[in-house]
Amino acid sequence: MHRSNRIADFDDPSFDPFATFESATQSGSGEDPYARLAEMRRQKSVFELDYRELLGSPPDLTMQGLPKYMVLGAADIQQVLETPQLFSNTIFERNVGLCFGRSLTVMDAPEHTRYRRLFQKAFMPSVVSKWGDTLVDPVVHGLIEGFKGKGRADLVREFTQYYPFQIIYRQLELPQADIAVFHKLAVGLTCIVVDVAHGVEASQKLGAYYALLLDERRNGGGSDLVSTLAQAEIEGERLPDEVLVSFLRQLINAAGDTTYRATSSLLAGLLSNPDQLDAVRRDRALIPAAIEEALRWEPPVTVCPRLTLQPVVLDDVQIPAGAEIDAMTGAYNRDPARYDKPDRFDIGRKPLRHMGFAYGAHVCIGQHLARVEMTRALNALFDHLPNLRLDPDYEPPQVTGVNMRVPAAVHVRFDA
Amino acid sequence: MKTWQCLSCGFIYDEALGLPQEGIAPGTRWEDVPTDWKCPDCGTGKADFEMVEL
Ligand code: HEM
Ligand SMILES: [Zn+2]
Repeated sequence: MHRSNRIADFDDPSFDPFATFESATQSGSGEDPYARLAEMRRQKSVFELDYRELLGSPPDLTMQGLPKYMVLGAADIQQVLETPQLFSNTIFERNVGLCFGRSLTVMDAPEHTRYRRLFQKAFMPSVVSKWGDTLVDPVVHGLIEGFKGKGRADLVREFTQYYPFQIIYRQLELPQADIAVFHKLAVGLTCIVVDVAHGVEASQKLGAYYALLLDERRNGGGSDLVSTLAQAEIEGERLPDEVLVSFLRQLINAAGDTTYRATSSLLAGLLSNPDQLDAVRRDRALIPAAIEEALRWEPPVTVCPRLTLQPVVLDDVQIPAGAEIDAMTGAYNRDPARYDKPDRFDIGRKPLRHMGFAYGAHVCIGQHLARVEMTRALNALFDHLPNLRLDPDYEPPQVTGVNMRVPAAVHVRFDA
Repeated sequence: MKTWQCLSCGFIYDEALGLPQEGIAPGTRWEDVPTDWKCPDCGTGKADFEMVEL
């Protein structure tokens, strides 16, 4: 294989970041976290405990020693996310800060507000809708070409696991030879919560690579995402290199990993409900409702952690300054006081805010892009795979995990 | 009828559609949206919205 001399692999090339990351997000017990959380929400809203321990996922080594509180009630979750003066994103300096750097995620206002607007410009609905034709369609059609003659496929292993990442490589216009190591380093970053040393190593190597891309492209006038962000300007202010590189470091995880998981769960929801699948297939105007319902029903991100900056009282619980507050946004989306029969996937619901993209100042900056990607992906699957349905030879798909939830497989058949 | 976009998150307020979920009727002009109204996605105030062509 041709190896690039522009990007450095891990010192130990046998380190497998993919397996390490998967182990950090899956629940050891395999129990449905939503059943447990629903039962607890009937008692009260705020609990002093670590949700990871409660739900059987490994502890986050970077959060050791912090008092921890889990917030389940919808009104309290909303309050946490809309009151950043009390509930700060600087909690992320401990993990994301180490591996991504000074990305938007670790910042509070006023710094956050300023940089957020510069980045948001590149992800406005009018901008990302153009990428549907130029970036997204070629990727999804190309991938489906690879298996459409077979009559069966695992849509996770053959489609959703690849498409958002390939879209990012195109956005960044990465040289083909750099991609394999690039992806490995990017996944390595997210191992920080269970393997700090490899996370930091990945961060340094990816940072050096992005600095190289920035140098090459800063004044080139290109239209790729690196060039666009390097030239973004509001009232004469540009993004500092460190902030820009940190954003790019975060992209694989924030944009790729989430979209892969959300699309997989969308397919699981639709294919497991053939009447709804048929309705959407026949009337594509229903796609937006299907996407919003999937993000409500199985949001990949189920928890938004924040740090208390001063003592606060929430649901009559006294919380000290310096505590980890876990706003359980996934549980918000299953609150029976907001959604009738919340565990059911039902695209016919009346539109009502969900927290699949969170809420408040840090609400997902890429939500408009994610919707374009998922819309194009679903349309392409319907167009190329007639009579798409679950494969009866396999167990139906099951969305699992504590945070970063996903079905391990979505086995389908179709008329080849 | 015009559309207004939040500079912080890209949320779009469409005068023709209003925001019935939040008690703002279809057809409500931007200037008639309450001054203390905040972006329902990110909480940004009205001043940081910009008119956009769709
Ligand atoms: C379906 C796919 C996606 C889901 C479910 C998702 C979910 C989320 C959530 C829940 C947050 C807030 C986290 C918190 O406040 O603790 C967030 C923030 C963010 N997302 Fe997404 N996301 C998706 C796609 C994308 C894409 C395509 C991008 C590409 C630009 C992106 C970039 C970001 C960034 C940069 C932030 C941090 C924003 C800030 O802190 O101001 N996401 N996302
Ligand atoms: Zn907004």
